[in-house]
Amino acid sequence: MEIKINKLPDKTYVTLNGRIDSTNADQFQNDIFALLEGDCKFVDIDCSEMSYTSSQGLRVFLLLQKSLIERHGNLVMRNMNPHVKEVFDITGFSNIITIL
Amino acid sequence: MHIEMLLDEYRQSLPVFRKLESVVKEKLRQCFNEHGIVVAALESRIKTVASLTKKLELKGYKYHQLGDITDVLGVRAVTFYNDDVDVISALMEKMFNIDWANSIDKRKTLEIDRFGYLSLHYICRVPETMYYDPDMPQLNQIRFELQMRSMLQHMWANMYHDMGYKSDVEIPVEYQRNMIRLAGMLEMADEQFSHLRKEITDYRRHVQSLVATGNFDEVPLNGDTFRSYLQLKPFRRLVEKIAGINQAEVYEDSLLPYYDVLLHMGMKTIGDVERLRRTYSEGAYQLALIQLAGTGLDIVASSVALQNICIVVILKQGFGKAGLTRLFAVLYGESDYNAQRAQRIYEQALKINLL
Repeated sequence: MEIKINKLPDKTYVTLNGRIDSTNADQFQNDIFALLEGDCKFVDIDCSEMSYTSSQGLRVFLLLQKSLIERHGNLVMRNMNPHVKEVFDITGFSNIITIL
Repeated sequence: MHIEMLLDEYRQSLPVFRKLESVVKEKLRQCFNEHGIVVAALESRIKTVASLTKKLELKGYKYHQLGDITDVLGVRAVTFYNDDVDVISALMEKMFNIDWANSIDKRKTLEIDRFGYLSLHYICRVPETMYYDPDMPQLNQIRFELQMRSMLQHMWANMYHDMGYKSDVEIPVEYQRNMIRLAGMLEMADEQFSHLRKEITDYRRHVQSLVATGNFDEVPLNGDTFRSYLQLKPFRRLVEKIAGINQAEVYEDSLLPYYDVLLHMGMKTIGDVERLRRTYSEGAYQLALIQLAGTGLDIVASSVALQNICIVVILKQGFGKAGLTRLFAVLYGESDYNAQRAQRIYEQALKINLL
């Protein structure tokens, strides 16, 4: 899993590349939550190169969304491939997170 | 000389007034929170030297000491509804020591054929049981004015002050008459807002009792009734069954977005929704089983139960892939992916004879 972060004044852009699974979920969580150390409120994640996410990944996205909402911000995920999107669909997470 | 003496006393007492202002506002906020009262505004001011001087120049003969002036500190609570003024005033009577001789209910002092300034003014002291600072015992002796009024009463007072009362030039009678006509209209509107709130509250209670007693067919489906129905957690059993597929954790999310979906599906009463739940829960579980079994995904959103029920209803009623695509468009907006998702689910449904 590779993460690229581009922090702009009004929004933070994240690009994910690869799989999120039990081997890297903790590191992924640490990297993602480093985003929240500043005053970041809006996060836009490009998932076009993300090939899979496990439940651990879903939990990280959920925690990130909750933290951003508490700051009156939001999380948007975009460009998911159909296999990743299916994980969000069958768990009901498409009802929770804004996916474009 | 007399005015200067009072102004000196005022300057020396300013720290006490500032402390009093902060204590009173904090206690009011606490009180409103505890009693679930939402106020439109809670504001305060301590008279400036200029405004106190003006008052003393006009009426200084009435005051022997600063303590005789009851509005050096003024606090105002503005409510959304006029009947909340009575609720708040009853609470204030318990909180503060009220100087009844100097308090005034302007709502009752107007003649029956007059309209205009309506507000409740209490002259209060902070009792020692509420707050006491041994370094500032004067705080409990100082009186302050607490005004309570509704938003529309507040609006009238401000407009009148701006257009008429503060003007150096007396405004012509015809304009004054128009101001009074507006006052009457606002008073009527204030009453109607309170009346409407009571009617809506009564309706909600009635519907909640119908839902709670299971008389679902008598309850029309609307945003309020759907919310009451969801409080019964009707999809709990199905959610737990779906979660059991992978021993998953359940994340509780909102089912309210499905209200629009149910309307699109032609549901008219909560009874219709309940029949949907009873009839299609097993199909919804079978769909979850084929989707989740073997994936190892051990977290699900609680909305997955109603999501799958809606999918099964559409398929069972023969609306096919086009129906599913429409469902996803209502839930998530139009996108090419909706048709792909519909195709995938359609194929899964074929495998388990769900059509």
